[in-house]
Amino acid sequence: MKRKQRTEILIEGSHELAKSLANEIEQNYSVSVLQEPEHGLVMLKVRETSRKSLFYLGEVLVTECKVKVEGKIGIGIVKGDHSDLAYHLAVIDAAFLGDLPETKPWAGILEIEKYYIEQKRKAKNEEILRTKVSFETMDV
Amino acid sequence: MGYVAVKGGTQAIEESIKRLKYERLHKEQVLETGQIEGGMRGLIDQVMSESSLYDEKLAALAIKQAEGNPEEAVFLLRAYRSTLPRKYCSKIIETGEMKVERRISASFKDIPGGQILGATTDYTHRLLDFNLMKETEQTVKEWLSSYASGNIPFDELQQDLDLVLPKVLDYLRKEGLIPPLENNDAEPDDVTRESLEFPSSRSQRLQILTRGETGAVTSLAYAVIRGYGALHPTVGELRVGSLPINIEHPNEARSGEDEYYIGEIKATEAEMLMPFMTEKDKGRKELEFEIGYGLCFGQNETKAIAMGILDNCLEHPDSSFPSHNEEFVLLHIDSVESTGFISHLKMPHYVTFQSKLDSVRKTKAANAEEREEVQAYE
Repeated sequence: MKRKQRTEILIEGSHELAKSLANEIEQNYSVSVLQEPEHGLVMLKVRETSRKSLFYLGEVLVTECKVKVEGKIGIGIVKGDHSDLAYHLAVIDAAFLGDLPETKPWAGILEIEKYYIEQKRKAKNEEILRTKVSFETMDV
Repeated sequence: MGYVAVKGGTQAIEESIKRLKYERLHKEQVLETGQIEGGMRGLIDQVMSESSLYDEKLAALAIKQAEGNPEEAVFLLRAYRSTLPRKYCSKIIETGEMKVERRISASFKDIPGGQILGATTDYTHRLLDFNLMKETEQTVKEWLSSYASGNIPFDELQQDLDLVLPKVLDYLRKEGLIPPLENNDAEPDDVTRESLEFPSSRSQRLQILTRGETGAVTSLAYAVIRGYGALHPTVGELRVGSLPINIEHPNEARSGEDEYYIGEIKATEAEMLMPFMTEKDKGRKELEFEIGYGLCFGQNETKAIAMGILDNCLEHPDSSFPSHNEEFVLLHIDSVESTGFISHLKMPHYVTFQSKLDSVRKTKAANAEEREEVQAYE
């Protein structure tokens, strides 16, 4: 599973999952924190659809953490003020980069979490779609 | 005349700051930031948009500290923003990837994906709901439970549950009603890093418009429609929803799926259609469309539409109208700049005012002398 999909599942899913996966690594390896979770900004680059050019929409607050596990540097970065999650994401990132054996069964666990996220999204979309307009032509 | 430093007022200032705190607290109500975040969505979105910093929690804190005054809350957030390092710039966000929560078109009845009203005050009666004064946690829970169970039968077979919808503009481009365009990936300018100079670039204009003060942007766009401009806009598409944010690894040069997903933000996008007549060969005239573009943080529909109108105005400079003048529009819509300047008039101007007073006294004395001389001569 690629990093983009993995980080989306860990951020949009239950944060307990990220915690439990990171704890597994902590129990078996030494984790050194290179950068404690700290706040920063990410500038958002957007494409406008009139001329299809780019502009900056503004900045979003993020929490970022960097750790080293088995010689690999993992980065955890998430929108908002989430120190614990940023740390857990960094540990998981380092574990995947180091191709640690603990990560092998994680793909299945992440797929299950992805299923729950999709179910929640479908339920939300179902609620939103109740506001979809059904036009009726009037007889004049 | 230069400025003269003065001393004094330290104790009065300290007591004034205490008095400000007293005004916030004297009704002995502790307003939790979670309550502001949960119940003041419109104000949170406005403050995030004008401060150009997306974070609901920080916006709630700023609103609490500012006692609900948006201009003060925006000032606080802009100041806080300046203390934080900018760690990354996002990958290009394509608004076609928006997970839509609301989407309408005032130009076309039948749009791919349909008209989705979402959450809007547009169809409410605007009558004060006095029941809200008696609202309790229990009544809220009961309402949420009944809402979740749903009161309209939903036929999943007839509805596609995907809410990443095709854009109306893409449909018009396919139809040949709007000329097709290639992506322009030129790096945008950043007004937070380099001061604005005129003529401005399109990226500077859009950045200033999106962080503009909601009321100012709306007022200028309203003036355009009332005749202080040369546009006749229609909402081609208005959408509210979530945009995913991804960043590249700082050192790895890999692309695609190796990036980090960091979360999503809510935004409002307005694509305004502006009809205009063009002259073709042999004097033949043809009606075409241009697009004014608006995008801002949160659900901020009036501002996004107004931004779209002003965007198109500034693409067509016209000395007949101030709304088509980029200096007039861009230098006056920023909340911190305009409120800051107006507000500074409260600061001591003793020396400058005294010099003006001296001039008035001298002029009056000279005039009086002149009158006396004339009277003596007569």
